[in-house]
Amino acid sequence: MIVPLALIGLISLPVIVAFYMLRLRRRDVPVGSTFLWQQLIRDVEANAPWQRLRFSWLLLVQLLIAAIVVVAAARPFTPVQSDLAANVVLIVDTSASMATSIGGEDRIALARDRAAEVVGRLPEGGTVTVVAAADSANVLVSETDDRDAALEAIDGITATQIPGDLTDAFALASALAAKDSDSTIVVVTDAAGDELPALGVGAPVQVERVGETDANQAIAALSAVRRSGGAQLDLFVAVSNPSGAEATRRLEVYADGELVDARDMTIPAGQRAEALIGSVPAAARTLEARLAGSDALATDDRAVAVVPAEEATRALVVGPGNAYLENALALLPRLELFAVGIEGYEDALADAEEDGTPYGFVVFDGVVPDEAPAVPALYVDPRDDGAFGTVGGRIDSPGIDRTDPNDPILRFVDLTTVHIGRARSIELADGLDPVVSTPAGAPLVAAGSVAGTPTAVIAFDLDESDLPLQVAFPLLMSNLVDALLPVGEGILPSSMKLGEPIRVRVDPAIERVTVHDDDGTEREVPVIGGELTLPGADRVGLRELVAVSTDPELDGKVLGTTAVNLFSNDESDVTPGDPTRITDMGRVPDDGPTAAQPARAEWWWPLAIAALALLAVEWLLFHRPTRRSIGRAFGRRPQPLGGRAR
Amino acid sequence: MTVAETERSRLFDETFLRRLEQLELASRRLTAGRMKGERRSVRRGQSVEFADYRTYATGDDLRQLDWNAYARLERLFVKLFVEEEDVTVHVLVDASRSMDYGEPNKLDAARRAAAALAYLGLASMDRVSVAFLGDGTASPMRPLRGKRRATELFTFLTEPRHERLTGLASAARAYASRMRGTGPLVLISDLMDPGYLDALRDLAGTRSQLSVLHLLAPEELEPEVAPDARLVDQETGQQVEVSGDDDLVDRYRARLEEWSEEIGSFVSRRGGAYVRVPSDIDLADLLFDVLRRRRVVE
Repeated sequence: MIVPLALIGLISLPVIVAFYMLRLRRRDVPVGSTFLWQQLIRDVEANAPWQRLRFSWLLLVQLLIAAIVVVAAARPFTPVQSDLAANVVLIVDTSASMATSIGGEDRIALARDRAAEVVGRLPEGGTVTVVAAADSANVLVSETDDRDAALEAIDGITATQIPGDLTDAFALASALAAKDSDSTIVVVTDAAGDELPALGVGAPVQVERVGETDANQAIAALSAVRRSGGAQLDLFVAVSNPSGAEATRRLEVYADGELVDARDMTIPAGQRAEALIGSVPAAARTLEARLAGSDALATDDRAVAVVPAEEATRALVVGPGNAYLENALALLPRLELFAVGIEGYEDALADAEEDGTPYGFVVFDGVVPDEAPAVPALYVDPRDDGAFGTVGGRIDSPGIDRTDPNDPILRFVDLTTVHIGRARSIELADGLDPVVSTPAGAPLVAAGSVAGTPTAVIAFDLDESDLPLQVAFPLLMSNLVDALLPVGEGILPSSMKLGEPIRVRVDPAIERVTVHDDDGTEREVPVIGGELTLPGADRVGLRELVAVSTDPELDGKVLGTTAVNLFSNDESDVTPGDPTRITDMGRVPDDGPTAAQPARAEWWWPLAIAALALLAVEWLLFHRPTRRSIGRAFGRRPQPLGGRAR
Repeated sequence: MTVAETERSRLFDETFLRRLEQLELASRRLTAGRMKGERRSVRRGQSVEFADYRTYATGDDLRQLDWNAYARLERLFVKLFVEEEDVTVHVLVDASRSMDYGEPNKLDAARRAAAALAYLGLASMDRVSVAFLGDGTASPMRPLRGKRRATELFTFLTEPRHERLTGLASAARAYASRMRGTGPLVLISDLMDPGYLDALRDLAGTRSQLSVLHLLAPEELEPEVAPDARLVDQETGQQVEVSGDDDLVDRYRARLEEWSEEIGSFVSRRGGAYVRVPSDIDLADLLFDVLRRRRVVE
């Protein structure tokens, strides 16, 4: 027994018996006559404070309950062998997918239970470190042999909304394991796409996988683009369905909190569906998309977007004129678009300079100027060499190699169905990096900075591809413009990922910044040297930064609003993954499997259940219905009616 | 509506009374009454029911001579007929404190049963004598006859009683010694008195047709006793401490059965009828079913 002192509680047994022997203070019950009762009761006149102990089921049950509770409190155990090492690092995955809750499955609760089981399996004298891990590791208890403390810490674990990255947790576990060769790392996770470190860890890794369901759909993209000169915004929404079954979900769109659009979207299994919604009021400042109803993961059923309010940059399109290109650029609220042929290009620049309204962005469509402009420039299908690099021969039917979905230029851009007839082979100038390439490595889209000027190039004629016909085109153009014309100092990006910290420059006169989340929470972040490091957001929603300063002009000024979204295919795909990729990271000791360690299998809980059951029996015994009340319940009259012959 | 009518309506409604009139108290023992009534008498008289022959004596009514017998036997015989006479119906209600108990109250149930049985007597043109037994004495009302006296009967039965002490045996003896006329005698009591056998013996000794309605409250038939109760006798004030459990209730029930058996066999040995009745029994059930089956009423 772990707590033998608890057996002192057995004293309660004779106390209970004594209570039964003590004469009760009785309740007077008037009856018509005691004529019959007197013939039954023999000890009527006994007035002693104690009475003879008589058998009673109630007494028996109460003694049993007391005995069982005392024995359970002493925490009896049976010695067993544990498969865990003496030093256990217990990592509990708290990434967004662990918040999965549908039907009877509450994934984080399952994880807590499984983690508690692991603590119960610890060998005698073993220590445990409990780590909660989302995108970073949070040590809850460190190398403790106090199981109660470990269990208490596990009880407090909740799921976050942050995409999972176990790199930190494994680095920590590896460091702890390095201190003691007799270590085991146990990961309680759904193994649903968490990032893992590239290198293995120096201890065996066990995985306790939890979760079953895959029934989840997610808003995978939400982006607002302003229709040029129009009175409305266009909202691009993508809904993904990582589950194994087709799903129909109702998509609701809110502008500044008002419902402006609702539609049903049917998404085939494992695919995504997209929608371009044009019914959004142009004056809207914030947009929100929601998937009505419920699924396994609520976090990704909501996404928000901020419509940036900024002054338009004068942009000049130079070339013979391409309706697709001009329309796509005209959609961008940031640009005020002008067009000119190559022959009038230099005059146009000069006139604008003279008027004091210079162009801030130039697009060359099929032409290349003799001298590169000093402002950001985009070259489309360049036929001559230029600042972007050297043009070579032609490539027929170039395929598209796998792209990096995390590249901001390709955000929400799906190029898998794009076909290109011909492209130009371009050797990129220094400072440009390919964004989209052929499988052979020839750049199709590239961006970067040449001699300090942001520059991008599209290496094919838009008329020779079906890209302009696809939803991806305006998004690609929007992203390219965002990349070439970065937001100004101190202004937040319009969108951020959950858990992603950012650093922004603000006016040095600002002392600190208050971060307001749309759930009403707020916190202050100091500004150091005119720079603000904004911690990663832990929930989906809008974030607003408000300046705190002694300068009355700056104090209370809204510095910017940003939208925080999950937008993680890995987390939205809640299907439990293959745990072997995690277990494979563990080192198998050279001397074979770790020898089994002596451990304790406690069995207080069946005793507790037995005590509860007996408590119910005791209650029933005490409140047991009499035959007469049963008779009344069944509508029977008392039995001895007059028909009885005597 | 007069006070008496109100009292009567408290006891019965008209429909019930009409049904009641179809019954009469059974008198298995032939009785000798004072007036011609609607019952058979031990006296031979003028009716259509032949009873026996008797040798002619001087003074006999010559119209009763059986001339056919004289023709055959050459001896004079007088034909005897059963004469219908009235009887006295005695209804005795135990009004001791122990009867003022139960839900429904035993005394109330006894009053209603007594009223019904007495009304049967009135409806049969019998003399009806009703009395409360309590406080060691009997409190009879003057005998009544005819349905017109029903109001008087009901008024008597609904009068509040304030009996204090028990004394069933002495009360029964007092009534038996003073009773006039025989006929059906119905005792309605819980018999919870040490002298209950003496009381029954005295009443059975009156040569009346004794019927005992042993009236017990549902709480007395199926008691529910708390584990820590002290039972207080509301008649004598005596206290009995009990630890109510199934075992005790079982023993109580067994004793109750045994007691009922004792009373039943005592009464039946004296030619009477014994019926144990719960106080919550429906009066119509009691009269038209239970007492009819026990042939207390016909």
